[in-house]
Amino acid sequence: MTKRSVMSIVFAGLGALMVATTAPAEAEACGGAWFPEVEVDFRPMAIAMAEKQLDQGKVAQAAATVIRTMPHVGQLNAKRSKIVERGQRVLAVAVARTNGKLELGQEVPAYARAHWAGKTEKDRQANLTFAVNALRKVNEIKKDDPAAQTELAEALARVDAHKSEARDMLEKLAKKDLIATPEGYAVLAELRAKAGDESGKKLALKRCEAMAPGATVCQTTARG
Amino acid sequence: MRRAAATTFALLSLVVVAACDKKDAPPSAGSGASAAPEPTAAPSAAPVAWAAALSGSAERGAKLVEKHECNRCHDGTGLERAKFELHCFGCHEDIIRGKFKIADKVKLAKWKAHVRDIQFAPSLEGAGARFEPAWLTAFLYEPADLRPNMVASMPRLGLSKQDAADIAAHLTRGHRDEKLSLESASAERGRAVLETRGCGSCHLMTGVAAFPAVPPSAPGERTAAIELAPDLRFTRERLSAAAVVRWLRDPAAMKPGTLMPNLGLSDQEAKDAAKYLLTAELAAAPRYVAPKKLALLERKVGFEEVQERVLGKICAHCHGNPDVAGGDGGPGNTGGFGFAPRRLDLSKYSGVASGYVGADGERHSVFLPLADGTPRLVAALYARHDEQAGKPRPDVRGMPLGMPALPIEDIQLVESWVAQGRPR
Ligand code: HEC
Ligand code: HEC
Ligand code: HEC
Ligand code: HEC
Repeated sequence: MTKRSVMSIVFAGLGALMVATTAPAEAEACGGAWFPEVEVDFRPMAIAMAEKQLDQGKVAQAAATVIRTMPHVGQLNAKRSKIVERGQRVLAVAVARTNGKLELGQEVPAYARAHWAGKTEKDRQANLTFAVNALRKVNEIKKDDPAAQTELAEALARVDAHKSEARDMLEKLAKKDLIATPEGYAVLAELRAKAGDESGKKLALKRCEAMAPGATVCQTTARG
Repeated sequence: MRRAAATTFALLSLVVVAACDKKDAPPSAGSGASAAPEPTAAPSAAPVAWAAALSGSAERGAKLVEKHECNRCHDGTGLERAKFELHCFGCHEDIIRGKFKIADKVKLAKWKAHVRDIQFAPSLEGAGARFEPAWLTAFLYEPADLRPNMVASMPRLGLSKQDAADIAAHLTRGHRDEKLSLESASAERGRAVLETRGCGSCHLMTGVAAFPAVPPSAPGERTAAIELAPDLRFTRERLSAAAVVRWLRDPAAMKPGTLMPNLGLSDQEAKDAAKYLLTAELAAAPRYVAPKKLALLERKVGFEEVQERVLGKICAHCHGNPDVAGGDGGPGNTGGFGFAPRRLDLSKYSGVASGYVGADGERHSVFLPLADGTPRLVAALYARHDEQAGKPRPDVRGMPLGMPALPIEDIQLVESWVAQGRPR
């Protein structure tokens, strides 16, 4: 077992922080400053940061972090690499939460900004298709994972053809109290409203608001 | 520990451990239960009666030891020590000894403080020569705290009574049912041996007047030997008279590598001490009383606080996110210690909200209330107090597994958070 693999297995709980400290430690472990820094894989650290940003509701920032780390992340194979899977997941959720119109900051190369902005309806749909496909793949990799299902449902709900699939998924999760995020409840509220289930919508919004104290998540997402 | 070098301890190369005021343990190892309640007869053999009636298969036991990964915590299981990244103490030990390679020294210091109480389990070397199979069976089925100066305890594993008997049969292969009469020995002289030979510097014997503690166990100092020294009140359940005497004459002969020093007792002294250990009248054990539930907090409780104080601090080490840990989410997520993968990730909000996989193979929310109305997540925390009080719940395993129950204020925090709709 190499030092690298031991260090990266290092305990579940510490994730991002731990990986962050891995790089210099490795250089040290290998006996001196000559050890080429370039061999250090900084992507796990960056992706962990992106995940945190997404959790904090900094959607565009999270997506930008992913794209700066892996500019062509959309074309990579998530089934081959955990880090690609995680990057695609963050980006896909960001796309879904911005309804296919992801506005990235100046730190991202212009071509990528244009790509994800969803300026035309066709671009926007293409972005959402990416989101749906990426999150479907995540669900194939992680079977029976409510967090992954909730996020896939969020993306599905943004595409007309998939709305009923989204609602089915969320209703099933709601029945077991397994919707993993307030955003998930907001989308369920929206889908129930569209289907004319006013009282169901109110219930879902109530759960959303309990889970998301600021409640902006519940208002903006529910408007769709 | 520096002072200790002058005494008995010079015999040993002891490991210094920083101060740890565990549980509600008395500040010094020698200050036992001098204020003990009314004396009772020696504990009845009742708790192990069922265990004595079972006969185990050593062959099956060996497989169970492998399945339940006893070698992640114990040496001397007959298996090789678990790999570094699976072993529960090797890494912690490296951190404590400063051998863990990490550039961030501030973080290392913080880790040191967090892991200092979780660095040993007794080696099971020579268990066959020492332990009574029936005691072992009962203990494995329903572990209890044996070491008053040690924080970690033996986890309550998913073993049936028969499994426990099988493992006991495996660990006690070669066990001799020796009879030794202590008729000519004197418990009174034995008490004197215990008082004068410094036994009290490492051992407590709850239920009898405290032995004088020799200086090294001043408050704030703990050594591996002190942590690993069992409460001698249990000796009569664990060891036969013959085994106690052999142990006291030469501990290392029964268990190579043991931290119990050879104190040079003569045969007579050993027999006298054994007689005292096995027959002294014991006051009722100091009973662990589970703390009273606190009223829910009125102030707002957010996930961040719950994460910082409880879930991320303690639970996430066993209920982690496999994606950031090379696929191993810890025993409470991807499985381990013989437990099936429960897939419970307590390292992040959406993980907690995603629940766990039950015995039926289905996902269930950890927030769903049990029959008494307590959400499962919270019930698991109370259940650990119940286990410490000797009343394990059949339907809920106490958490954190094998660690001291959480302070009641921390449970109140988690319970309040759930009651407030578990805000993110
Ligand atoms: C997570 C770590 C862990 C695992 C896994 C574990 N144990 Fe333990 N075990 C401990 C600790 C810690 C103690 C000491 C408890 C005490 O003294 O209160 C202990 C105590 C014991 C003892 C009492 C030994 C003595 O000298 O007092 C036996 C026997 C034992 N364990 C057997 C087993 C067996 C068999 C397995 C596997 C089926 C196992 N343990 C798995 C941590 C563990
Ligand atoms: C690769 C190294 C490593 C391994 C292997 C490891 N740990 Fe840890 N453990 C740590 C570090 C580092 C900390 C301190 C983290 C912190 O302070 O944030 C820790 C802390 C803990 C804590 C929290 C203590 C507290 O109260 O703060 C528990 C519980 C724990 N470990 C249990 C285990 C168990 C059980 C195992 C075996 C399944 C294990 N650890 C294996 C490195 C490790
Ligand atoms: C330096 C600390 C130390 C001193 C001093 C010490 N012991 Fe121990 N003793 C231990 C440790 C540690 C163990 C556990 C041994 C192991 O499992 O490796 C132990 C185990 C025992 C056991 C087996 C108990 C059981 O339940 O398994 C007995 C009996 C015992 N000691 C009696 C004594 C007596 C009597 C004295 C004084 C004559 C004494 N000890 C002095 C550290 C000490
Ligand atoms: C030493 C490892 C370990 C630690 C630390 C730990 N757990 Fe667990 N946990 C497990 C294992 C293993 C299981 C699976 C038990 C089973 O299958 O019966 C589990 C199961 C659970 C369950 C599932 C429900 C049940 O009743 O089976 C809950 C809830 C839980 N843990 C909560 C927690 C909480 C909260 C903490 C922190 C206070 C925690 N755990 C700390 C190992 C651990």
